[in-house]
Amino acid sequence: MQLLFKIAWRNILRHKGKSLVIGIILFLGSLIMTLGNGVISGMDKGISENIVNRFTGHVVLVSTNQEQDNVLFSHMGKSVEVIYGYTNIRKILDRQPYIDKYLPTARGMAMALSEDAEPAYTILLGVKFEDYNRMFENNVEIIEGHVLKNDQRGCLITSESRKSLYDYTSSWLVPENTPLIRSNLSPEARSNQDSLILKTNVVIMGFGDDDLAMDIRVPIKGIFKYKRLNKLWEYFNLIDIESFRECFSYVTGADAAVSLPAEKQTLLSMEGANLDNLFDNTVTSVATKAGGYDFQTMKHETRRKNVKVNIDAGAYNMVLVKLEKDIRLNQAVSRLNKELKKQRVDARAITWKKAAGQVADMATIVRGSLFGFVLFIFFVAIIIIMNTLSMAAIERTSEIGMMRAVGATKGFIANMFIAETSLLSLFFGGLGILTGIILIKIVASLNISTTNDILQLLYGGDTFQPQLNLGDIISGILQLVVVTVIAVLYPVKVAKQITPLEAIARD
Amino acid sequence: MNIIEINNVKKDYPLGQTTVHALRGIDLTIQEGDLISIIGPSGSGKTTLLNIIGCIDSATEGSVKIADKEITRMNDKDLTNLRLYKIGFIFQTFNLIPVLDVLENVEFPLLLMKQYTRDQIRKRAEKLIGEVQLKEYIRHKPSELSGGQRQRVAIARALVTNPDIVLADEPTANLDSETGATILELMKEMNEIEKTTFIFSTHDADVLKYAKHVVKLRDGHVVEH
Ligand SMILES: Nc1ncnc2c1ncn2[C@@H]1O[C@H](COP(=O)(O)OP(=O)(O)OP(=O)(O)O)[C@@H](O)[C@H]1O
Ligand SMILES: [Mg+2]
Repeated sequence: MQLLFKIAWRNILRHKGKSLVIGIILFLGSLIMTLGNGVISGMDKGISENIVNRFTGHVVLVSTNQEQDNVLFSHMGKSVEVIYGYTNIRKILDRQPYIDKYLPTARGMAMALSEDAEPAYTILLGVKFEDYNRMFENNVEIIEGHVLKNDQRGCLITSESRKSLYDYTSSWLVPENTPLIRSNLSPEARSNQDSLILKTNVVIMGFGDDDLAMDIRVPIKGIFKYKRLNKLWEYFNLIDIESFRECFSYVTGADAAVSLPAEKQTLLSMEGANLDNLFDNTVTSVATKAGGYDFQTMKHETRRKNVKVNIDAGAYNMVLVKLEKDIRLNQAVSRLNKELKKQRVDARAITWKKAAGQVADMATIVRGSLFGFVLFIFFVAIIIIMNTLSMAAIERTSEIGMMRAVGATKGFIANMFIAETSLLSLFFGGLGILTGIILIKIVASLNISTTNDILQLLYGGDTFQPQLNLGDIISGILQLVVVTVIAVLYPVKVAKQITPLEAIARD
Repeated sequence: MNIIEINNVKKDYPLGQTTVHALRGIDLTIQEGDLISIIGPSGSGKTTLLNIIGCIDSATEGSVKIADKEITRMNDKDLTNLRLYKIGFIFQTFNLIPVLDVLENVEFPLLLMKQYTRDQIRKRAEKLIGEVQLKEYIRHKPSELSGGQRQRVAIARALVTNPDIVLADEPTANLDSETGATILELMKEMNEIEKTTFIFSTHDADVLKYAKHVVKLRDGHVVEH
């Protein structure tokens, strides 16, 4: 052993050029890998924290009838099932010591209707806005207009939704009582500035599989974007919970009769007249374009005098729950589920990751592609190291042959090469990993921040916080070992094939 | 006692379309403790014969026994062991491990044996280095030695394991005659002290006086014994 490493070490020093080539490759490979892992880990952590703190909470309660876990991002398909008996659930939540706060919400797909265009689909989050803001760290940044009060009717539209609604409906949304801000116009709207149709409200209609709801007109109170990770959520528009329930028929007939706002009344009285015309204009185009949705049925349902009595008032379809600090997520979920089951209420708890579906997996996807990149780097590294070592083996033919002639086994020769490469790998690869760790620490301490939406995705938030956990470092070391082993296989084979006869140099 | 028994050994080298018959049927027995010189014109098969006896090349045909063991059908592992424990090799080109110093080069085969303690190895190597008169050079690298000195290191390395047979292919060819003479003197001395069997090949008629027996080759045949 000692002999092997002595020879290996001195050969490294003797063939400095080759050792340096291999060393630099190993150094760069490990460095890039470590940096990449650091960025991804930071992003992973940042995204998790930001999604949890500002969008979903740790745990999401859904109805026991809800089959799919991915309640937030499933675009089409089944609507999120309503949770029955929220009042009882709320009592249970209040009793759990590991729960910090929670927010009942309703999430649904809605159609924004307009007189002379196809309906556009949009995601609505029905909330009491002040509670929402408190729960999610004031993540809403108003661009135009105002925020909502808890008991105020209206909606907040994201600037991205406004853009895409403009593309569908050709009308530009502005909040009530606010002037048009031209600099906020999208390029498409700007090119059409002179004939721009402005609207201060939207007609929306809840959209789902089993019942199509009423269409209601909702005033626009503000245009906003999310402060962090806007790119992930820019199509989630906020609406007051009462309006949400109305347009998704979360109301009893009696409620509907009593609590319909004036605006709604007029809209209803238009039924069979204007509204029918409104639909007649769109029937054909939608029937073809929205394929799979039967617009005739839809039309029929909306026309019914008594909207299908659906659920009790005060209904929601999700409860977003934040846990106390240092509570294990999975433990909390199973404890909560046990309790919910025991109390026989219509709710089950799932982790935010399940509720957010593919968005939560973003980091995994980026990690995967980075892994591919690292793999490519390592592939190149392996080729270069393999080639350099094979050349070294051939150059040392007579030396190796002589060792064989005086009694060294093939295994000894192989181990000599392995020892040499391992030493290089240990030193230069180790140096690369170490440098990577230090660079990551330095970059993280600089607190580089951005308001750019795309960069925020990479940063996992508004500051660039790359980080490495023990697992990353260990996996980095393992990757280095794998590279070393693969790179040395072929040169070892070459060296083992050198016969003792080759000790006698022949020209 | 016969240490080497060679029967009808042939060695063919394919060379393009034709075949070179380097050895055409050698019969030879060598006694333990002998000091034999193999002579013959260039191309007569001296190197080929030594390589076959030294287990670094194989015969195309015939039988080779070393210490009563047939080597022609041994696998690589057994041949390696035979080279390590029974045979010492001295090459014409004084082949040493360039990254190791004199002491380490001489210790090398002993370390491969894995049966002696560090102390035993050190003592034995130092003794041999003393015998080849290189005590002051013990920490020198091969590149810092003259040709004659390197050849003496090679002799020490060949003898350090106390082998039964030491083979040397033209050990003096690359040395001036004076240095060559000391090397041969040394081999003769070792042969007397250690009772090791020495077989060396040479072109040089002067060298013959050191040998107890002479084997003469021509065109792959033994012509005189
Ligand atoms: N690897 C080989 N391939 C082809 N022919 C070979 C090979 N090795 C040796 N020969 C041939 O075998 C014959 C014997 O060669 P060998 O080296 O044994 O001669 P030698 O007596 O040692 O000659 P020298 O005195 O020049 O060293 C020669 O004709 C040589 O050309
Ligand atoms: Mg020769």
